[in-house]
Amino acid sequence: MCEIHRGVKLDFIYIIAMMLVALGLYCLLLKRNLIKMVIGLAVLTDGIHLFLISLGYRAGGVAAIVSGDWFSDLPGFAARAVDPVPQALVLTSIVINICILALALSLAIYAYRHYGTLDPSKIRRLKE
Amino acid sequence: MIPHAPILAILIPLFAAFLMPVVGIFARWKGLKRAREWFAIAAVLVEFAIVVSMLPAVWGGQVLVYQLGGWQPPWGINLAIDGLNLLVALIVAGIGTLVMIYSFVYMERDTGLDQYYTLFLLILAGMMGVALTGDIFNLYVFFEIMCISSYALVAFRRNWQSIEASIKYMIVSSLGTSFILLGVALLYGLAGSLNIADLAQKLGPVASSAVIVPLALFVTGFGIKIAMVPLHMWLPDAYQAAPSAVAALFSGATATVGIYAMMRVVYTLFGALAIGIMFATLGLVTMVLGAFMALVQRDLKRLLAYSCISQIGYILLGIGLGTTLGIQGGLFHLFNNAIYKTMLFMIVGAIIYRVGTSNMDELGGLWKNMPVTGTLFVVGALAISGVPPFNGFASKWTIYVAGIEAGQPVFTIIALITSALTLAYFLKALNSIFLGQRPAHLKDVKETPRSMLLPIILLAVLCVVFGVLPQLGIDLVRPAQEALMNSSGYISAVLGGA
Repeated sequence: MCEIHRGVKLDFIYIIAMMLVALGLYCLLLKRNLIKMVIGLAVLTDGIHLFLISLGYRAGGVAAIVSGDWFSDLPGFAARAVDPVPQALVLTSIVINICILALALSLAIYAYRHYGTLDPSKIRRLKE
Repeated sequence: MIPHAPILAILIPLFAAFLMPVVGIFARWKGLKRAREWFAIAAVLVEFAIVVSMLPAVWGGQVLVYQLGGWQPPWGINLAIDGLNLLVALIVAGIGTLVMIYSFVYMERDTGLDQYYTLFLLILAGMMGVALTGDIFNLYVFFEIMCISSYALVAFRRNWQSIEASIKYMIVSSLGTSFILLGVALLYGLAGSLNIADLAQKLGPVASSAVIVPLALFVTGFGIKIAMVPLHMWLPDAYQAAPSAVAALFSGATATVGIYAMMRVVYTLFGALAIGIMFATLGLVTMVLGAFMALVQRDLKRLLAYSCISQIGYILLGIGLGTTLGIQGGLFHLFNNAIYKTMLFMIVGAIIYRVGTSNMDELGGLWKNMPVTGTLFVVGALAISGVPPFNGFASKWTIYVAGIEAGQPVFTIIALITSALTLAYFLKALNSIFLGQRPAHLKDVKETPRSMLLPIILLAVLCVVFGVLPQLGIDLVRPAQEALMNSSGYISAVLGGA
């Protein structure tokens, strides 16, 4: 399986993905607004998703579903099909991420009701 | 063993969680009062029975490998259960059952209990999934199920404390889970596999400079979940703001699962026994810092939360030493910590249930009102401080001896001093809650309700049993220790069928 990935030149996409991760991290850790932090979290995970999906990408590849003529040419199919595993992983991860974002935004709404602000540095009454 | 037991242990709480809203609607329609509670308790009891049914086979030295959909590893997802997995599953199911029984009365004044039991069963399903799976991405998914339900459970009462705590917890913890996902992605790019055993085999020849980034990502991600210093900031807030039943579950079961995931990934997957010394050092920092912070707390729940951090330090120290005795002590302490920490949180819950506050400045002299609860608190406090004849002594002693045997007497000395600090802050808590002057308005406080006392008493009995017969506890964790130190056995058992 490893050989499939190594044959593809995708450095540019990897760089973009890691830039997204870095941007998301910056936004999550340094922004002073809950909504922006949630956006940062979304960007961070999307960067990881982009990285993951491009691991299985192959230029000019076909979908990893054996059908029609491919039945008679299985080695040729194996040489051209993209890796389906990252796609399944990303799909799962996107669903999980939607749950987290929905929960985070609803918590932000509650925080605004209780505190009248979205600034996380002001949402800290528990410390006392 | 029941056929399909491994997957049933995950599916039963999962399906019970989905059925819970229906049961709730049905109960209201028919006017059945406690239908939800009985349904939830039945589900966790069945789960516990299933986990127990796997004990004989696994303790006989077998590694149970369950292939989902009949796909051979490393292609399909598989559940692989050795002694370590089973110990964690046993703790999760046992603590889950007891906390569920406790919630029966403790949560009765809250509204929205359909959602509470749904989330409770979901977090159990998530923890059981992490404990039993043999696939790294599957582990991530179950870890997320566990985390998302725990954010919602912390925020369950929707007052300002719980919302604030839940937001902090969620921001920090979702950062951790993102790191874990990135680690999984890097591993897949590196080795092209997701099966833990297969990955362990394929990572063997890979240069260590390549695996250091995913390793660091995993350690950070799981370190956040177990609140290892310096990643512990979220824990005191979350435990203070969550309902006590939830805090009891978190401290007993969720922390255990986090430590399990850390051990499995670092020791089995990466085979990185060398970073044990880092765990031991961080464990020392964690235990000392947790103990000092606990000393100055005025809220009993927050004190217990810091003490939780401190106890995690002991476990990390034991496991980090990496010797047979050290890992045995660490796992034994993991087991004991689940027992008495859950018990202490349940006692705080009982005090809050009867008095309405856990602020130690407003409490006092409650021994006259709640003698049984007071006695149980003393048992828990002595057990956690490592005073014989309770279980904390047995496991801490094992860790002390392991420290000296591993040539690190300084570690042992620091651990001993921390133990004294633990005793100090628990005596302070005991003094300000159960002894001393009783404020006039606390005159009519009643003893804890019986159904809340039952799980606490059961846990107290376990504290004494494992304290008087420490060999029993060591025998209980030995299969787990042997499994952790024998990763090649795990790998060949999982891949052998292929």
